[in-house]
Amino acid sequence: MPPIVQADCLTKAFQSVRALDDVSFDVAEGEWIAIMGPSGSGKTTLINILGGLDQPTSGRAVVDGVEVGSLNERGLTRYRSEKIGFVFQQFHLVPYLSAVENVMLAQYFHSMADERQAAEALVRVGLGERLEHLPTQLSGGEQQRVALARALINHPKLILADEPTGNLDEANERIVLDLLCELHDAGHTILLVTHSAEIGRMADRRIELAHGRLAQIAANRR
Amino acid sequence: MFWRILSRLLWASRGRLLLALLAVTSGAAVCAALVNLDLDAGEKFTREFRTLGANVIVSPEDAQDAMPSMDANVMTRIAALGAPEEGSKQRAAEVVAAAPYVYIAAQTGAQSNPIAVIVAGTWFDQVARMNSFWKVDGQWITQRDDSAHCMVGTNAARELGLTPGSVVTLRYSGREAQFTVAGVVTAGGSEDNQIFVSLPAAQSLAQLGNHVALAQVSVRGSSAMLEDYVRRLSAALPGLEVRPVRQLAATEGYLLDRIRSLLFVTVLLILLLSAMGVLAATAGLAIERRRDVGLMKAIGGSVRRVMRFFLAEALFVAVAGGAVGGGLGLLLSEWIGQRVFSAAIEPRLVVLPLTIAVMIVVALAGALPLRLLGRVRPAEILRGE
Repeated sequence: MPPIVQADCLTKAFQSVRALDDVSFDVAEGEWIAIMGPSGSGKTTLINILGGLDQPTSGRAVVDGVEVGSLNERGLTRYRSEKIGFVFQQFHLVPYLSAVENVMLAQYFHSMADERQAAEALVRVGLGERLEHLPTQLSGGEQQRVALARALINHPKLILADEPTGNLDEANERIVLDLLCELHDAGHTILLVTHSAEIGRMADRRIELAHGRLAQIAANRR
Repeated sequence: MFWRILSRLLWASRGRLLLALLAVTSGAAVCAALVNLDLDAGEKFTREFRTLGANVIVSPEDAQDAMPSMDANVMTRIAALGAPEEGSKQRAAEVVAAAPYVYIAAQTGAQSNPIAVIVAGTWFDQVARMNSFWKVDGQWITQRDDSAHCMVGTNAARELGLTPGSVVTLRYSGREAQFTVAGVVTAGGSEDNQIFVSLPAAQSLAQLGNHVALAQVSVRGSSAMLEDYVRRLSAALPGLEVRPVRQLAATEGYLLDRIRSLLFVTVLLILLLSAMGVLAATAGLAIERRRDVGLMKAIGGSVRRVMRFFLAEALFVAVAGGAVGGGLGLLLSEWIGQRVFSAAIEPRLVVLPLTIAVMIVVALAGALPLRLLGRVRPAEILRGE
């Protein structure tokens, strides 16, 4: 079975700074990968390139058979809506839309909004009672769960989570990690950026970056 | 979903959008009022100009003889020609007023020390309609054949020491008649040196029978309509000279053009100001929306789909502001019509869609900062730049 993600000599330079430097790795379908490293090591840049938010300066990123760097603006939009589910550290919900509307927004950009399906997605992440609440009326953990529901609603091939628990307290971190475990068990492919060694150990493998370069790829013992 | 998100957007940005709406509504109101005035301007201004005196003179072709030789019955035909021709679909000139005139070099004052004065005999009712700009101290004479009263030009009144209520005796060829001064006229022309009496009184004093020296006619209509009226009147009155006062007609046309140019420039300036108002409101909105646009693009929103929300906001402002402002503008033009022209300005419904269309252009032009949001790069926004 071909890998779902192939990073081949990925380099990203911002003027004279090399945020990513010749990074290569593969990810098999259904794998959970933790991307680790200190601040400024290129984790978010890597996630952004794989998610079609940024273009590499050189190298190739192939996700589910699509070479991301070859896509034009329109192709990238379609790629993001069909293949990627993003979860951000800052949640990034639209503040004037309710929880269910935030999920429906991703459906709307993908194809067609379906309120019933969006509500079911929120019920699955334990927010059945919070459908009509605005983000400001939700706790951080609840907002992140809305973001997870939004990321999953279009059945993406790859979930890219950039420090999803970075802004959460311990209890909410546990809830979100449990949800990620459930997603992994259900066969979703997850690339998760984290600083936490404990969270890193929950993944199948750890990709460690340092100064933009690949420092280590290590498999976790289960 | 589109409308649901749009309604949320509108509610979330109600403060800034209200400012943009105010700019568009006020701009639309003034523009609609001016456009509505402009559509009626030709008629209304011509009506106003027609209070400034005659613009057609009818006199005998051979007017060297000082004696009035024109039959006064000619006035009936002059008035009748003002009506549109039967079966004609073309708009014809309208006779606002037509006044016959005789002029007599009469005398007044003591027999031993007579003072020469020009006496004009005319129809007061017509003169009043034709020259409503005249200032009258006292009263206008309303009866056409009032032989007991006269009106005196301001210079003549000063020279003769006459005021309203004074009695003046006019003498001509051994005949004399007494008149009570009803009013003192200030016209700003040769009329200020004359004494006005009714046509029958002047004809009687000078034994002129039913003859008049000339007729002054005030005709309302475009230059082409005026030319047409003069041509028809000339044909209907053989032996009489019908001549338009071209200088006056040209000045009216010039003034009308200038007023219309002024209205046009004013409308352009107001539209520009409205666009600036929208620009100011949307510039702040665009900054607020950068994050939302970046996020929407990150989760798969195409530029077209995302921008549709924000352009729909601008369109809402344009249509709502244009409709409300357009309606207010029509009311405003009616008010201006009453205040300036003392006449109702007909609200032209075509102004409403026209205003909305123009306001859509204005709002979209003013919403330039929102359109620039399409260039937002999601990665930069998510990095917090």
